Amino acid sequence: MAQRVVRPKTNLGPGFWPVTAFIVVLSAVCVYVVETLPLPIGLIQAGAPADAIDSLFRFLGAVAAVIFNVVVIYTVYFAIAFRRPKGAPASMIGVQIHDAPVLEFWWTAIPTILVIILAIFSTKIWADLQNSQGDVLTIEAIGYQFGFQFRYPKLANPVTNELHLPANTPTTIHITSRDVIHGFWIPELRMKADMVPGLINTIRVTPTVPGTYHIICTEFCGIAHGRMQATAVIETQQDFAKWFAKQGGQQAAAGGGSAAGAAVALDQGKADAGQTLFGQKCSACHSTGPFAQKLVGPGLGKIFNDPDHPKLVNGAAATPQDVAAIVKSGFTGDIGTMPSAQMNQLSNSDIANLVAYLVSLSKK
Amino acid sequence: MATIAPGVQTGPYHAVLDHIHPEPTSFIRKYIFSIDAKVIGIQYMITGAIFFMIAGMLAEIIRTQLLSPDGAIVSPATYNSIYSMHGSAMVWFVVIPLLTGAFGNFVMPLQIGARDVAFPWLNLVAFWMFPIAGVILFSSFLIGAPDAGWTEYPPISLQGPPGTNLWCIAVFLIGVSSTMTGINFLVTIYKMRAPGMTFTRMPLFVWAQFATAPLSFIATTALGAALAALFIERVFNVPFYDPHRGGSPVLWQHMFWFYSHPAVYIMIIPGFGMISEILPTFTRKPIFGYKMIAFSSVAIALLSFSVWAHHMFTSGMVPWLQLPFMIITMVIAIPTGIKIFSWMATLWGGAINWKTPALYATGFLITFTYGGLTGFFLAAVPADYHEHGTYFVVAHFHYVLYGGSIMSLFAGLYYWWPKITGRMYNETLGQIQFWLTFIGFNGTFTPLHWLGLLGMPRRVPNYDPSWTFIFWNRFASISSYVMTLGALLLVYILIDSLRNGKKAGPNPWGARTLEWMISSPPPYYNYKKIPAVLAAPYDFGNPLPYIGLEAAPGAVEATPTSASHPVPTY
Amino acid sequence: MAVSVAEHGHDVGHGAHDEIIYQETRDMRLMGFVLFLFSDVVLFSSYIFAYIYLRNSIPSWPPIVDGHQLPRLDTAFAAFNSVVLFGSGVTMHWALEHWKHGNRGRFDLFMWLTIVLGLGFLGGQSYEYAHAQIGGWSGNTFGASFFTLTGMHGLHVFLGVCFLFVLWLQTKKNVYDQHHFFGLTAGTLYWHFVDVIWVVLFFLFYLW
Repeated sequence: MAQRVVRPKTNLGPGFWPVTAFIVVLSAVCVYVVETLPLPIGLIQAGAPADAIDSLFRFLGAVAAVIFNVVVIYTVYFAIAFRRPKGAPASMIGVQIHDAPVLEFWWTAIPTILVIILAIFSTKIWADLQNSQGDVLTIEAIGYQFGFQFRYPKLANPVTNELHLPANTPTTIHITSRDVIHGFWIPELRMKADMVPGLINTIRVTPTVPGTYHIICTEFCGIAHGRMQATAVIETQQDFAKWFAKQGGQQAAAGGGSAAGAAVALDQGKADAGQTLFGQKCSACHSTGPFAQKLVGPGLGKIFNDPDHPKLVNGAAATPQDVAAIVKSGFTGDIGTMPSAQMNQLSNSDIANLVAYLVSLSKK
Repeated sequence: MATIAPGVQTGPYHAVLDHIHPEPTSFIRKYIFSIDAKVIGIQYMITGAIFFMIAGMLAEIIRTQLLSPDGAIVSPATYNSIYSMHGSAMVWFVVIPLLTGAFGNFVMPLQIGARDVAFPWLNLVAFWMFPIAGVILFSSFLIGAPDAGWTEYPPISLQGPPGTNLWCIAVFLIGVSSTMTGINFLVTIYKMRAPGMTFTRMPLFVWAQFATAPLSFIATTALGAALAALFIERVFNVPFYDPHRGGSPVLWQHMFWFYSHPAVYIMIIPGFGMISEILPTFTRKPIFGYKMIAFSSVAIALLSFSVWAHHMFTSGMVPWLQLPFMIITMVIAIPTGIKIFSWMATLWGGAINWKTPALYATGFLITFTYGGLTGFFLAAVPADYHEHGTYFVVAHFHYVLYGGSIMSLFAGLYYWWPKITGRMYNETLGQIQFWLTFIGFNGTFTPLHWLGLLGMPRRVPNYDPSWTFIFWNRFASISSYVMTLGALLLVYILIDSLRNGKKAGPNPWGARTLEWMISSPPPYYNYKKIPAVLAAPYDFGNPLPYIGLEAAPGAVEATPTSASHPVPTY
Repeated sequence: MAVSVAEHGHDVGHGAHDEIIYQETRDMRLMGFVLFLFSDVVLFSSYIFAYIYLRNSIPSWPPIVDGHQLPRLDTAFAAFNSVVLFGSGVTMHWALEHWKHGNRGRFDLFMWLTIVLGLGFLGGQSYEYAHAQIGGWSGNTFGASFFTLTGMHGLHVFLGVCFLFVLWLQTKKNVYDQHHFFGLTAGTLYWHFVDVIWVVLFFLFYLW
């Protein structure tokens, strides 16, 4: 039986400290580079929340680089330094060590602390995003196979595949889909939400850098998923106002009409069909009680004859036409946002039925 | 109870363990419908290898398509089916059956000193569901293969081609098979360990299977429920997921990911186990931090049930719910980190014998660390807002699934190949194969990280024709050919080994776990007499901790040492 | 030492060695069976989760279809039907107890009573299916979750009845004796499991 050869227990191995020094220097360089790169992921920042999310990328990148350096360089170093020496017998064995509680404590404790720091940092940025400003402009984005529609307040018809955003304006985008799940992603704003049919997701952005960017669908949505893109144009507030006025003019010229609700034939409405619709589409947010009985929005049971609220939330008189206008175009006020008929997937006859139902409620 | 050695008592079931069934003689009972776990393991291996080649071919079509920004070869519809089938096949028909079915069946009973698994007939049924399900899955190409990705999110999957129904059936069947295997393995490991093999003396691969088994039979059932609901919605028009009829598409995502996140750990924990076997053998050292590695597997398995919604940060759930899911996901990094550091410490101070399995184990260490770190980027909710649904995700999960699971599978294959076949492979070719795989793999998937961050979404047959996108996509595609070359070389190496390989003998690596104490390939009944276990298996400085091992009849050589000759060699 | 220590087949042991083998095999089977039931619990839990999720995603339950809220299910009838099922759980328990005491006649009686009560429950369930005015299986999410969950439970009851019948046949063929009756233990466990699932379903669909 061959004599057993045990690797002598050197302190840490030849060259351990130089390698460690190399790791420290390299990690410091990596952290410095990651923290000072103007664009950590190589993509321009076109507005909030890109800078906040990039700061998270920086942080994650720095931590990951250090861990990666430690693991990879030590692994390669051990692999070379502790190979079986040339000429050593096949029965040579390594240092017979089972564990080192102090070491194990530290490599449990340090990652735990890192996880806690990362979680706190991520949570802070998450909370900032949740509380960020947005309600100066409210836009609705609706996905369909295969394109995007954007609906602006006071524009009767949606704009297809071209989203215009005024710079330096906190904007809320309500997102949904008409058919299957799509994604809404503007890489330069680092913001994304799935467009889920039957569900409204909300993102808040404040674009700053004028330019033309892509809106990309990120959930598989069918055969032309790869071509489902739209343009996001971020422009100065003056340019946006011009574009907006031009859109309004074009739509009016095209016969779309800027007075929302004009196309709704209210006299055709049926109250019982409206009741069904109300249960499906409205009752998640609106009760049939008085105004004060709020779920999300106000109660609608006495909308036409409420002495405490003679006017609608948008200041219009409480007539069936005005109610229909809000249902059709949506409205953003101090108590929140009411999505448009398109977002709620309501046709004009649906609106008529709903208004008829609300009228019948007020008569009770 | 009888004490047969200091600290080792035989329980009543020693008698059961020693109970030997006569070996079947007919060809069919021996090789086709065998109840021998080793034969079933090899059957899993061959079937899984065939599916691996098919799914790999699909992957090459994907990469070839992406050579050009407009899609080089197939139509978008075909492309959608191809990547959907690639993902489904790789997850359910390659990685899971190979890690649990193949290596679990072949190695685990040997390592615990048992003659077979607890329920051999159940094992037989579970295996045969696997090729049948595979044939059903691939036959969906004939009638229009599913096209909505391996996740098949409704409502798009409700509109999908008829093959989607076959997809549901196939995945349901493989799920049932996985459930059976999970129950079988848990009972086997709990009840059938050799006398003296306490939980802290189990080899780490057995620990890994022990942690994986509950995931298989708990999580997989939830997938079965989701699939059955998708199937009846498609066929009988019963509303579960269709938002226009009161259903919820997000419901599918919850049910699907409640399975599919634990499934990620079904696909990696056995790989961890393999690495933990291979490193001690080739460093000639005890595994560093045995208990920490064993318990961290269990910790990961437990935590894996409470992180599923991190796949859904952009789907529209209640915002505050994102936080616990983010934090628990990050917490999983702690047990995983413990494992990685323990493996590094195992390398330290070794007398490392650089054979192919050791190379793969070390390569795994690097690629898996990389994949784990990008996992952090995805766990942090605000960063995920940017990364979700992009190539960054694709890069991440290929790093953990190819760089993790498949690399550990290759490591395990080279390591146990001499035990399975009794023959050595060509070591030089093996090392070349490792470098082809390692370089090709990193070249393929590293660029996908920044492609994703720069704006390339998943599941697209065409992409932005700017030069960065074209350059890095071509770089990835060409690297993927190198990786494929590696896979083809592996096929050659294995065939060459079967034809010309030199005899391996019982223990070519000088390993210390029980399976290396008997002849290669092991005899039908594994152990002539069930051995008793005195200590954990990795103390290379000590005599082998087994007593009662007798050279099996028909063994090519005697075992290198046994406790009756207390001269430590390994 | 000979390769074949014992012949295959060890359901009823004779002699101390076979008795040990029987006991250990039984323990393993019992563990496997309990784990199987556990995975079955996950199956039901998934659909229960789906039901709760769908129920909470619309404002009123039962849902409003064509302007009219669907009626609630017939709680009184279901309560009666539940008593039938729970009664069968009691008779199954008694059957096993009588078997343990070697009282074959009583065992047969209670076993058959269990089977009949099980079939009675299925009959009641069919009556309920025929009279539930909730728009059918594919009409709306209420029908979808109700018929899927109770249908799956009904399937379990049906399989349970078949299981019990096979067990009874096996007792006639003397597969079990007074001390070796793993199949009967498994059958009883399964039957109680089906009862427990029903308690949850009853609460979710009839009382909530």
